[in-house]
Amino acid sequence: MKSLVRYIVAALVLSGVAFVLGSYQTDVYRKLLLWITLALSYNFLFGICGQVAFSHFAFYGIGAYSVVIFITQLALPLPLAVLATVALCVALALVVAIPATRLAGFYLALATLAFAQLFIVVLNEGGTVTGGTGGLTNYRLPDIFGVAVTGPWYTVAIVLLLLGTFAMLWRLERSWFGRACRAVRDNPDAAVAMGVDARLTKVLAYTITSALAGLAGMVYAFVDNTVNPAIFSQESVFQLLFMVIVGGAGRPAGAIIGATVLYLLPLVLSPIIGHHHALVFGLFMVLVVIFQPRGLIGLWDRFISGRQHRQAQVQLRKAHP
Amino acid sequence: MNDLLELLVSATASGCVYGLVALGYLLITRPTGIVNFAVGEWAMLAAFGAYVALSRMEMPYPVGMALVLVLMLAIGWLTERLTVRPLVEKGAPPLAPVLSLLGMLVVFRESVSIGFGADPQPVPPALGFGRFEFGPLAGAYQSFFIIAITGLVFTGVWYFFERTLTGKSFEAVAIDRRAAALMGVRLGRVTAASFAVGAAVAGLAGMLVSPNVSAHYMMGMPLAVQGFTALVIGGVGRVEGALLGGLVLALVEQFTVRYAPIPAGLAMGVPLVLLIVFLLVRPTGLLKAREARA
Amino acid sequence: MYTFSKAIRTVLGCALLAAVPAMAQNTIKIGMITDKVGPAKAYAEPVSAGVTFAVKELNAKGGLLGRQIELLVEDDQGRPDISATAARKLVDAGAVFILSNSLTPATQQVQTVTVETKTPQLAPSNSGDTLTTQISNPNFWQTGPLGSTQIATLLSYAANKKYRKVAVVSDNTELSQLTTKAFKAGLEKAGIQVVSEEVISRGATTAEPQMQKVRAANPEAIFLTGFLTPENALILRAYRQLGIKSALLGNFNFSTPQTTVVAKGLLDGLVFVDAFDPSKPEVKRFVESFKKETGNEPYNLNGYGYDGMMLVAGAIQRAGSTDKEKVRAAMQATKGQVGVMGAPGAGYGFAEGKRTGFDPNGMVVRVYEGDKQGQVVHTGTK
Repeated sequence: MKSLVRYIVAALVLSGVAFVLGSYQTDVYRKLLLWITLALSYNFLFGICGQVAFSHFAFYGIGAYSVVIFITQLALPLPLAVLATVALCVALALVVAIPATRLAGFYLALATLAFAQLFIVVLNEGGTVTGGTGGLTNYRLPDIFGVAVTGPWYTVAIVLLLLGTFAMLWRLERSWFGRACRAVRDNPDAAVAMGVDARLTKVLAYTITSALAGLAGMVYAFVDNTVNPAIFSQESVFQLLFMVIVGGAGRPAGAIIGATVLYLLPLVLSPIIGHHHALVFGLFMVLVVIFQPRGLIGLWDRFISGRQHRQAQVQLRKAHP
Repeated sequence: MNDLLELLVSATASGCVYGLVALGYLLITRPTGIVNFAVGEWAMLAAFGAYVALSRMEMPYPVGMALVLVLMLAIGWLTERLTVRPLVEKGAPPLAPVLSLLGMLVVFRESVSIGFGADPQPVPPALGFGRFEFGPLAGAYQSFFIIAITGLVFTGVWYFFERTLTGKSFEAVAIDRRAAALMGVRLGRVTAASFAVGAAVAGLAGMLVSPNVSAHYMMGMPLAVQGFTALVIGGVGRVEGALLGGLVLALVEQFTVRYAPIPAGLAMGVPLVLLIVFLLVRPTGLLKAREARA
Repeated sequence: MYTFSKAIRTVLGCALLAAVPAMAQNTIKIGMITDKVGPAKAYAEPVSAGVTFAVKELNAKGGLLGRQIELLVEDDQGRPDISATAARKLVDAGAVFILSNSLTPATQQVQTVTVETKTPQLAPSNSGDTLTTQISNPNFWQTGPLGSTQIATLLSYAANKKYRKVAVVSDNTELSQLTTKAFKAGLEKAGIQVVSEEVISRGATTAEPQMQKVRAANPEAIFLTGFLTPENALILRAYRQLGIKSALLGNFNFSTPQTTVVAKGLLDGLVFVDAFDPSKPEVKRFVESFKKETGNEPYNLNGYGYDGMMLVAGAIQRAGSTDKEKVRAAMQATKGQVGVMGAPGAGYGFAEGKRTGFDPNGMVVRVYEGDKQGQVVHTGTK
């Protein structure tokens, strides 16, 4: 019950912000929320399940393109288009997951990278269905029950997506499934010995997180009302990986911090670090991996525990003068 | 028929380049198990090194080439020392060096983009541009040069691993790290050496391909993917696998474009499909690893 | 617990953004979106340099409407979604006009913002034909040399050669694909058959398979529509390697200096379209003052940026105010404005209902002599 209240308050605060922002700030805010959503699901796949996958952004793109194609070309009503998109994402994720999860580490990374590149090739060659290299534009979100959801109300929809994703992953992480994922990540043989179906766990993890990415993609499609292959290039996948690592892999708070920092940093700091933020991120990544593998959230933890430690010492001294 | 033979030469040359990239990767991953995604960026660095040495400073080709190779050895060694060794010493999980190398990929690429700008730069070929006829086979001077050099490199590497004691100790590390350490093999040395040589080999690939494609800061990623695909096809187990994989990839790629009745854009998907097929059906590649002899 | 700190962090982050830097009052703000780090950097940055130079020149002469021009520069990193965000930032900051110099899809994505906010937008160098037609946006103009203009100019030059069968070779960038479409349409209209159409993808190590196919189809001429310099060099190399003798006709990308540097030794005899006629007095003046100001010899990409800014300035001047609707009307009414780019006698102007401004007769045809760009051998489409 308490957590429900927390979610409602968070929803209200995050949505409230949407109503006071200007046009540019709204755009930044929306895209920030979407990046956080993606980082959360990627964190689950990479941090908690230990799968190095480079296809996350491709599913983001699949979700975005599918919903647009279903609405504009197949003239499906919105609810049906949403369902169809989710179904398509799940189906494709299964198609990739079932064979790919037999592979580990490098091979999985390579297979998912190949899938992501194949996606771009299909987009480029898709003729009028995908709009080819120029993509699709000239569409907008259909009215929901006769109401056009735009402006700050659409931002509210993104907030709901973010909280929904967060809640679902939070639940999963704390459940037996989360424990199974971690077990498979840390020691697959031991996990199997304990009765965990490693294969099934991996397939489920991949499918669920990829479907969540597709869901986020669906929502993204109506932010700029344009989708094109350049948006879903493989560069973004590296950025997603960096976000999760720099923030702290395996912890949702880490994903949130990482996404926020790496997304806002170029915008806020461009007067200072100029346009070399990619270089800075690369360096950040290397430094974090070497010196602070727990990520920024690890720094925060240290600070907190340092404070607790100092407080405990104060107590001790008071008790024994 | 002429077309086919000419294409054979061109595909072989491309396959050699892929094979070298795959080898650069393989030399590191076998003894250390570390996946080095930055291998393409190393090729790019060497290409720019060649640009500076040969185009800007106009050194004679062998001198310039030697200089760039030495530079790459140094870069490889430094990369290991600065971004991998601290992790190994801390006992970090095996994923950690992979991630830091991924970060280095971005650092290398951005540094070159900032230092040299976004424009592609020319690199002169070894023997000039010209058409050479070798019996029924015809191709560019550079193609034959690439094939010759690759042949030398692979022969040298094969000989090293098969016939020399040092090489066998590297193999030992690849097969069983702990056992090798117990037998007195210096793991640190092996790791540093494999990074250095891996960088040099990848750099060689960059130097050989850049006269055709020019040196530009975005050339690393496609080369890396092609190299990895070659590796998967050929198999990580044996050095020859890298070359075989490269040749198979290039031949399939180019013969499909030339002879298959599919639109050119779709032909780009062929290497990707090939990669996926291999990963599904035979992830260990065409050549099986040699088992440890009892 | 973390949900709260997350919420607070996000709000704080946005508060940071709310601190939009204070601007100097009483300037006219012109926004410019360029690519400083991504795939379009080699094309966007020179155009932006031309714009910056134009702004300096205008400000030295007193600015516009008695006020100084302030150029707000945004970097979209070659990513279309960031381009749209950058556009919103410029609109919020009070930009009267936005110049979009980055990739074609980025310009497209910016249009979703300018059509919504009714902000005037100009693409001074993009040459994709469908940019002004795909989205119905009365606030968007394009003054780059359209693919359709390029092919029309090339064909009028080659009219006496009476080509029957030709090939088209491109790369897999969006711009190249759009240019190919325009070229094919032009060829079809002239009754010329395209017997071979090949694509070189980014990252290829050789163009020989594709060029072998071209050779097998035996075209009289090969039209080149690629925009990636390394891949263009591959095409030219394979062309010579395979001993192909068909005539080579290239798009305006073959006039850039990078091409001359990278494809050294491969260009002799290549015919290409350009919009830069060094003998024009305006060009001579531009080259001199640009060199004096920046120390670099200017080339055509700088010229597009310069002309774009001059067109924008002209529109604002004629509108007499920074009101977006007045500026839009003034821009649409532009006729016969002579710029640095374009053949002598050509001028920029927007026909009724159309928003592409480059004079359809304003391109020239030149031929490479060795590695140097030779004289103009043909002008316009007559």
